[in-house]
This record gives sequence, structure tokens and C-alpha cells, in this order.
Amino acid sequence: MLAKSTASAYGGRPALQDPAWLRWTLIGTALAFLALFVALPLLTVFIEALHRGFGAYFAALVEPDALSAMWLTLLVAGIAVPLNLVFGILSAWAITKFEFLGKSFLITLIDLPFSVSPVISGMVYVLLFGLHGWFGPWLRAHDLQIVFAVPGLVLATIFVTFPFVARELIPLMQSQGIEEEEAAASLGATGWQIFWRITLPNIRWALLYGVLLCNARAMGEFGAVSVVSGHVRGLTNTMPLHVEILYNEYNFVAAFAVASLLALLALVTLAVKSVVEWRWGEDISGRRDQG
Amino acid sequence: MAINISGISKRFGAFLALDKVDLHIQSGELLALLGPSGSGKTTLLRILGGLDRACGGTITFFGEAALGLTPRDRQVGFVFQHYSLFRHMTVRDNVAFGLDVRPRRDRLPRAVISERVARLLELVQLAPLADRYPAQLSGGQRQRVALARALAIEPKVLLLDEPFGALDAKVRKELRRWLRRLHDEMNITSIFVTHDQEEALEVADRVVVMNNGRIEQVGAPGEVYDHPASPFVYDFLGNVNRFECIISDGTAKIVSIGLTMPAIGAEPGPALAFVRPHDIELIRLDAATGDAGGGGVACARVRHIHAIGPTARIELDIEGHRFEAVMDQDRLRCLGVRAGDWCGVRLTRPRLFSSNSAALIQE
Repeated sequence: MLAKSTASAYGGRPALQDPAWLRWTLIGTALAFLALFVALPLLTVFIEALHRGFGAYFAALVEPDALSAMWLTLLVAGIAVPLNLVFGILSAWAITKFEFLGKSFLITLIDLPFSVSPVISGMVYVLLFGLHGWFGPWLRAHDLQIVFAVPGLVLATIFVTFPFVARELIPLMQSQGIEEEEAAASLGATGWQIFWRITLPNIRWALLYGVLLCNARAMGEFGAVSVVSGHVRGLTNTMPLHVEILYNEYNFVAAFAVASLLALLALVTLAVKSVVEWRWGEDISGRRDQG
Repeated sequence: MAINISGISKRFGAFLALDKVDLHIQSGELLALLGPSGSGKTTLLRILGGLDRACGGTITFFGEAALGLTPRDRQVGFVFQHYSLFRHMTVRDNVAFGLDVRPRRDRLPRAVISERVARLLELVQLAPLADRYPAQLSGGQRQRVALARALAIEPKVLLLDEPFGALDAKVRKELRRWLRRLHDEMNITSIFVTHDQEEALEVADRVVVMNNGRIEQVGAPGEVYDHPASPFVYDFLGNVNRFECIISDGTAKIVSIGLTMPAIGAEPGPALAFVRPHDIELIRLDAATGDAGGGGVACARVRHIHAIGPTARIELDIEGHRFEAVMDQDRLRCLGVRAGDWCGVRLTRPRLFSSNSAALIQE
């Protein structure tokens, strides 16, 4: 229907009008692919979680280890996301508003967590802060534990989720330039006032978008966290790790029950992201008419 | 003296944007910085506004050293070429910004701020649009908001960077006349940058012509136009015919068109003669003899006549060397010269510059 009206809008030029069978084959293939690889697994999570009824489902969720995993996940995300918010704004600010030596190197460095396997980033922290790592002896002498404890989880999560906020802000801030900031400076605003009154309002929706993605990844991260966690039940297990343990113990209902929470988180993130994109899409991409 | 600029230099990497510029700006005057792109005019303006740092030299504002001061302490209003309005604020909030961000001890009461903003919006004729966002305004309206915003902080000096550069021709003319009237009413020392000679000559009290990071000439519009101090200023301001000539024995000879003119006491050597199109006089040749009747007259072929409006532009040709004359339509009609005719040509006010040093030899 849509394809047809588009084609007629172009004056029905034959070059733009594929035969109906080709159109439907392409659309059908795409839908089947999505159903098989995205919708079906998602559905399975909820079916498996609920197949012994709501009682078993909630029992699995309020079990102490599960609660502690949820708490830990919230704690880790609650520390990592705000820190990455600040780091992300700082690095995007530095990259887009100033000229300095090694700028392109910094941009590459920001992307590094995207290209390195999370397992490796976890191992790096073990090598640095572990018992036999570089800082191990010093940390032990001062009675500080990083690896196999909450600080290690936070560090690994920060590393893995670092690019999200910065990546979202850099293109936008580049397209906005520094003219408004200069205007504010010429009107007597201090650096702090310029940031709060000019820069932040101009990037707020892109920032929210970056934070959403960052948060989703922080709560769902498995690889890097798995390496530094040590899998101490009730102490260093985040939700994804807890799911794995339950699954390995053939406790499928409990495993899928916790997994369903993560799936719900993903769906909520997706929904909020769509709303933000729909409502403020032009602000995020910086396409809106320059004032 | 409002502003004293002495020895200001600015370097961007290997590029010398300003080369030891000296300039004195009178209190209350409207000054134009005129030059081609890359001449350093915007850089100078940004240094005055505290948006760029100078590499050397000093600037004083009303006797006070200004280079160490922040933009806030300089009390300078800056109007940007692309307006740079705050896109997430209404027109009213844009204008109020400079007053809102003052430190608490200097900040005016809310009622005073909104009263002043209302007055400024009245002044720039935008009061009905106070609650609009910049994206909902036309280019000319945005520029007036930018001006009101800069004026809100009651600056001692107003700096405008290509204020009409991004507007279409008609709005541009209206707005620059309006700016001139506004300046006459408010009398703030104002400096604006432009690459448009017509704009500079029409609006400014004095024009500063810049080229390659240096000031070529400073003067009132008429003075700069009628007595350019260098070949560059001649070329840049208005149309001009340029002839290469050779000086020997107190006369300059334009070899290409076979004319000579006196150059008493001038050093022998190559020189450049500049003649404005309206300083070229056409003389009807005696039809019978083909004689122009007197010295200093050359024979030229009329190639083309562009006659639009009150003046006519006449393309002339002497042995393949083309140049241009301008005269009233009425005078041309009296002369009766048409395209393809021959006529006599006299250079009434040539100015000679030395080819080597670009120094003025003779008016």
C-alpha cells in the first residue's frame, strides 16, 4: 500500500516500481527473520519464566540471591552510568570545543571499548588490580579489594559502557559549533553559566538518549563483569551472572524469571528511546534549524 | 579616545592574520573594517571582543588596558555574523540573557530587567515576537534580536561581525540604514566588519581598509574613495582602470594607449596609473580630419555601451587594450557616440603609484 502510493507520487515511473512478488518476498523475508531471531526468543523467555505459574515466577524473583543480584546490578549501574555521564560530557566537550594535540587519538580511545572483546577488558582489570596484578601488592597492603568485589564490577562496567554517552554527544556538539557559547561569553556569562544555560539545554535529549543506551548496557553486561566478579553468590553476582548460574543448575524457571526482568528492561529502554527519537529526533541529530 | 590599538599581531600556525596593527578609534564613532576575506578584519574584531587572544601588542579601552580583561569586564556587545542566538530560548530570554547572568550583587531586579528587555524589543521593532523562538524568525528579525541582545548589557563598545552578510540585498539595505539611525540616536562607539565596500562607504563615519593583516588606509568614506593611498585600496574600492606606465624626464607614458601625463620630479621607472571610469573624458573626433585637436588625447574605439539607469558604461578599446568610462546618459546623447564609433579619450584625474614600492607618486 505504502510502496504503491510512493510510486505514484513519483509519477508511477516504472524504474521505481518493483513487481509485487519481489516486494512481498523481501518484506516477508525480513519479517520472518525478525520473528525467528528476535520475537521468538523474547517470547520464549516469558513463556519459560511463567510455565510453572506466577507463584513460581515471583518465588524465583524474591529469593535472597536474586534480590541481591538485582540490588547489585542497580548499584553498579547507579555508579557507572552517572560517572560515564560526566566523563562523556567532559570528553565530548573537550573534543568538540577545543583544538589540542592528540585529539584524534582521544577519539579512537573512546571507541576502544566497542572494538575490544568485553572478556579482555575484564581480564585487563584482573591483571592490573588482581592479587598478583601490578597494583595487587599495594592494594593488599592497604586492605583494598577491587577484583572479585563491587569496585571491580563498577570499573569493568564503566570501561565497557564508556563510549555510549560520548559517541552520542560528539556529532551533535560538532554540528552545533561554539558560536552560542561565544555569544554567551561575550554577554558576560562565566564558563559554568555557559555550560548550564547554553550547552546542556542544547544537548539534553541526545544526552538522555546516550544515558539510556549506556544504562541498558551497564545492566546487561556479562563478559567483562563475569571475569572480575568471581561469582560469589549473594555478593558479587549481577543479574546476568545470576541467570547463568541458575541456568547451569538446570533451574530454568528461576533463570528465565530473572532473565525476563532484563528483557523487560530492554523493552522499556526501547520504548523510551523510541519516544525520545520521535519527539526530539531533530534535536538529537542536530538537524533543527540553527538559531 | 575610546579605543587604542597598538602593535596587535595574531598568528594562526604559519599564517600571519594580523601584522602589528595600530588603530585609534574615537568615542562615539561608527567605524567600518573593510577588506577581502583573509585580510584580518574579523580577527581584529574578535580580539577586541575578547574572543581571540592577540600574540602581541596592546589595546586600551577608555584608557584602561583591555587584553587581560574577560569579555564581561570589557563591557563589549558583540553581534555575530550568523546571529548565534540561543536556539532553546525565546526572543525575550535571548535579550535578557546578558542581564540574567550577572553576578548576584550586580544583577538588576527582575522587574527592571523585563522592563529594559521590553524597551529594547520595542527599539528593534520586535515586541510582538517576544515569545517566538529563533527558528521561527526571518534572517533580518534574527539579526535585530542579536543586536538587541548585545545592547541589553549597555555596552561601551558595540562590535558587529559582517552584520548584514547573510541577508538578501533588499533587507540588507534597509537594515544598514536603520543601524546608522540607531547609532546616531544611541551614540555607542561601534565597529563593524564588512567585505562590502558600498556598505562601508554608506554607513561608516570612517573606513579602515585592511589587506593581508595590515591596515592600508584609514579615512572618511569620501576621502578613502577619492584619494586611495595605495594600489590595493584603488582596486578594492569601486571600479578603476589600471594602466602600466613608464616615468622618464618628468613625464609618465602609458605605452599601451599612447598617452602621456606630467610626473614632475618623479623617480624614473615603472609605475601604475589609476583612473576612475568617471574620470575618463570622451571627446568627439572631428569627422573630417580624424584629429582630436590637442595633446593628451588618444583615439579609442567604442566597443560596447551599457546604458541602464541614469549613467552609461562605455567599453573602450585602444589597440586591444580595453578600459571603461562612465558618464551621464544625457551627456552621452549630446556626444552622439555609438558602439563601433571612434572617439577621443582624455584622462582627467589619473593617480600614479610607483610599481616597486606602491607609494603614491602624484595625484
